[in-house]
Amino acid sequence: MSNIRKRSDASAGGTRKRGFFATLGKQWQLVLMSLPMLIYVLIFNYSPMWGWVTAFQDYKPKLGISGSKFVGLDNFKWLFGRADFINSIRNTLAMSVINLVFSTVAAIVLAVLLNEVLNIAFKRTVQTVTYLPHFLSMVIVVGMAQNIFASNGPLNELLMSSGLLKQPIFFLGEPKLFWWLVGFINVWKEVGWGTIIYISAMTAIDPCLYEAASIDGAGRFAKIRYVTLPGIKSTFVILLIMNIGHLMEAGFELQYLLQSSLTMDVAQTIDIFVLKYGISKQQYGVATAAGMFKSVVAIILLFAANTIAKKLDENTLI
Amino acid sequence: MKKILAAALVLSMVTAPMVSVHAEEAEALEPITLTVFRGDPGDQPAEDNKIYKKIEEEFGVTFEFEFLAGDLDETLGVKIAGEDYPDLFDGGNSADLLIQNGALINLLDYVSPEKTPRLWAHIEPQKARLIEKDEDGNDVLYIIPNYGLADGEQIVNQVNGPAFFIQKQVLEWGGYPQIHTLNEYFDLLDRFIEANPTDENGTPYTGFDILCEDWRHFCLINPVQHLMGRPNDGEVLVDVSTNDFKTETFIDKPYAKPYYKKLNEQFHKGLISKDTFVMNYDQYIAQLSSGTVLGMFDQTWDFNNATFALQDANMYKNTYVALGLVYDPEYVDGKEIEEHYVNGSLPNVRRGFGISVNCECPERIVNMWEEMMSDEWQMLFNWGVEGEDYYIEDGRLMMSEEQYANTLDNTWKLSNKAEAFTQSSPKKQGYIMDGDLAGNCWEPANQPEIVFGQMNEYDKAFLEAYGYQKFADFVNPPIELAPYGEAWQIDYSPVDVEHQDFLDIQDKYLPELIMCEPDEFDAKWDEFVEEITPSATVFGEFMQEQVLAEAAKVLNNE
Amino acid sequence: MAKKTDDYVSNKIHQDKVFPIVNTIILILIMIITLYPVLNTVAYSFNEGTDALRGGIGIWPRKFSLESYRSILSDKAVFTAAWISASKTVIITFLNLFWTSMLAYALSRPEYVLRKFITVLMVLTMYVNAGLIPNYLLISKTLRLSNSYWVYIIPTMFSCFNMIVIRTYIAGLPNALVESARIDGAGDIRVFWQIIFPLCKPVLATVALFVAVGSWNSWFDTYLYNGGKKELYSLQYLLKMKLATTQASANAAKTTADALASTTQTTPITIRCAITVIATVPILVVYPFLQQYFVTGMALGSVKE
Repeated sequence: MSNIRKRSDASAGGTRKRGFFATLGKQWQLVLMSLPMLIYVLIFNYSPMWGWVTAFQDYKPKLGISGSKFVGLDNFKWLFGRADFINSIRNTLAMSVINLVFSTVAAIVLAVLLNEVLNIAFKRTVQTVTYLPHFLSMVIVVGMAQNIFASNGPLNELLMSSGLLKQPIFFLGEPKLFWWLVGFINVWKEVGWGTIIYISAMTAIDPCLYEAASIDGAGRFAKIRYVTLPGIKSTFVILLIMNIGHLMEAGFELQYLLQSSLTMDVAQTIDIFVLKYGISKQQYGVATAAGMFKSVVAIILLFAANTIAKKLDENTLI
Repeated sequence: MKKILAAALVLSMVTAPMVSVHAEEAEALEPITLTVFRGDPGDQPAEDNKIYKKIEEEFGVTFEFEFLAGDLDETLGVKIAGEDYPDLFDGGNSADLLIQNGALINLLDYVSPEKTPRLWAHIEPQKARLIEKDEDGNDVLYIIPNYGLADGEQIVNQVNGPAFFIQKQVLEWGGYPQIHTLNEYFDLLDRFIEANPTDENGTPYTGFDILCEDWRHFCLINPVQHLMGRPNDGEVLVDVSTNDFKTETFIDKPYAKPYYKKLNEQFHKGLISKDTFVMNYDQYIAQLSSGTVLGMFDQTWDFNNATFALQDANMYKNTYVALGLVYDPEYVDGKEIEEHYVNGSLPNVRRGFGISVNCECPERIVNMWEEMMSDEWQMLFNWGVEGEDYYIEDGRLMMSEEQYANTLDNTWKLSNKAEAFTQSSPKKQGYIMDGDLAGNCWEPANQPEIVFGQMNEYDKAFLEAYGYQKFADFVNPPIELAPYGEAWQIDYSPVDVEHQDFLDIQDKYLPELIMCEPDEFDAKWDEFVEEITPSATVFGEFMQEQVLAEAAKVLNNE
Repeated sequence: MAKKTDDYVSNKIHQDKVFPIVNTIILILIMIITLYPVLNTVAYSFNEGTDALRGGIGIWPRKFSLESYRSILSDKAVFTAAWISASKTVIITFLNLFWTSMLAYALSRPEYVLRKFITVLMVLTMYVNAGLIPNYLLISKTLRLSNSYWVYIIPTMFSCFNMIVIRTYIAGLPNALVESARIDGAGDIRVFWQIIFPLCKPVLATVALFVAVGSWNSWFDTYLYNGGKKELYSLQYLLKMKLATTQASANAAKTTADALASTTQTTPITIRCAITVIATVPILVVYPFLQQYFVTGMALGSVKE
């Protein structure tokens, strides 16, 4: 608390020590605006957090939290004693880093390209079409990808008939390609959806800036570089910080559907592991322990990213 | 405007009556609504459903159904934690969870020879399997099986379970040979594909498919027990020749090696494609439906849709026959193995409705079931309304083509069948034993007139060439059910983690074994055995205990 | 020096002439790649079920059939469920926008003394999760929201991600707007409501889209809390159930007789595609109304003076 006080005191322009409550009183309208949702998250997000106690229990739903046996760190020991859990951490981080880089770059590039389109109808059409795959279920998209990337699928046929390949590439069975395939499918499905937030951020850019740049003799690329990209930088940084916090979440549906016995070693994410050994085997304690571990790592990553952004004088999340 | 609309809507939603009404037990005919949970997906019946209307008239009972939408164990876990139990509770494949957590009542408080003669007669023949002992040594019955308590001789028109399948045209091409061993099977496939590398459209044939997707990996990991001459016991092989019922995991044993070595050979001959290991279920069905897959190991129900598609396209010669293959003597020290793919019928133990401890009128439900076990109700549930849904000709129950097609139409069923309720309730199966209709089948789909009445010309000629009456004649008649039942029904949750490892290692190694260079096979096999032995041992020992325990229940009762 | 300017000018002309063409071509290619799966889904949904099992359908049905749509839409419950889904989506979107943007404004004020404390508390909600059972017990037992329409509304009124998005947008607006209003004696509530809120249309449209789509697509809340109340089923839940039922019945043990009597079949493949289309069309219809706010942009410059 004292930290917050110091900072806010400073920013409020030198109000003295006793002034915290005085300032708060002056800011009653802001308090009024933030109080309802503060209470809301305390009830809906924080009050069920007693559930984390089950990470240290052999939790049985029937016995509840008071009746279940306390097992100390056994659930954590069990998790970290398993080579495939460690493996799933590696897979999760690898795939989420690939996804984060791919999807961010793709979304920004597409948003910039769209921003350069002058014809509104065309712009809206492209934008509408590209966001549509977001609404297809993962089963459909993965099924299609499996057909396209099959050994006798259209992609291999194209590569072979154009003479680029002699032997078809075994896209779906080659462990080395799996993470990249996941990255590609994610971009394919979500790129249009991901641009929406950047496109809306671009609307806030002052048109005068473009005019001024034109007068200074800037070409399209210069305008993109000196006007458009700086204009979305704060959105980019904030999203990046949030997503760095999400690096422990690589999802499970896509990997679960795309994996096969040949790729299971590189496909298993933490979430798949938890599904397999936690919930479906009634090991609720283990599932909670894994979730808790994920949260702790996420929070560390989040604050680290936030601190770095602050050091670089960028917008920060917190 | 929008806001007013929205607010009005919220109001209308919350004022609508939503509390389910449980009646007091005293008034038997007071209308009640029973809440029902089904452990599998389903559609809500139509409002005007004629069967539910009859149930309401007769028993004053209406139902409020909830079906499974997500993961079963997750759903049950949540219900147990909140003790949110419906009156009628079908826990699907995880009913054990409900029993362990004390969610279900002991039905023996209401079911007895005196109080409920029909229900008692229904379970009596299998009561050794069904009635268990609780911790205090009392007799308990939590669930009356929804299927598998059939009257009369076992009906086997076709192989519904596991088998090696082969396209009819391959047998036709080979001059209708008898195929009984692994070598005979692959020799025929080899010769056929050599003579006919592609189909009429020039698409290359795939000799043998192995589906490995997710839980359907049984196509990869289960065949060895059958090659050794046993019906489906899941992942263990049980020696039924003595009452020791020696039980072991088979995949890590020397006798499993020849099968995968054979597959390795066939892989290098090109009969098996590596794509089979990355195929998803839809792709598998698409491939079978195209008629270009000559053979596979699978279970009949798993590729029903492909069969429909082939018949729909008049590609009867590309549909499949189930064969019961065993090892050639050369693989098992010269021993002749007798084939047993079809098992004696067994009750679906712990599957179906239980009554939850939250239910306020268990006796009324049991009495309703008792009443429903009468021939009239069973006819209504199974065949429908006479004249409307079926007709009787010379004492035989018949359906017109249209009437039968109706029974497969989901939309029609929602108005005219009560499946959401009857699928999990006790029911009669097999043959009708008494009365004017004795000798007919309880289930239309088993009635010979319906099964054989509409068989296509190709299949008729095909069976005639073999001199068989039905497709089940390709395999031996059912073997007598072993005292322990079928081992795949055993709840292995205490060794869940080891079992998962046991499966994962198979999933990982078996495809590699099939694809590796032949000279690496032996070394790789040893590696596999070493890797899997720890989990296999734990699982195998657990299953041994359970098989003996299950067998003891039945044997001690005799 | 002169040469460099020439290069620069020609380069600039080059950019202005060639770039739009290249850009259009790239965008058309991207459209084709992303449109394919959509058209493929539509094609399957209009294909005859049994035939679709064979796979290999491109962007046009091979054997046209309306059977999948008929089998889904013949159930009148679909329309009730669509009404439930639409109404809850509208309500949640308005509530969510209201609460979220108000908080976003408060947390965008640098001088607010509780800013950091509240922000941390809010941000952490994105990264910690109590788990299924504690959440279930809260909503179902403590708050008694099971088996009611409220369970669709109350637990989803706020999302931190959206709050951050709006806050970032507000922070990008010129501070002078707030300052000058303050000088005129306006309190924060008035500043927010009269000045900031109207300027946030693009980002509010974006967030409205996120919230609406999230609510429209959700089925898990129905499944956990309203599974036994068929009059409260949401559309996605009902459609998901129809797909699951089709899948289950495809796997159910069948007899030779069944195979013979089956004529036109719906199959999981075509049903899955048809429910995707049915659930997505309403979004497509509403989308352009929101899209105009964030694709076209606003003349912010004039406001800035």
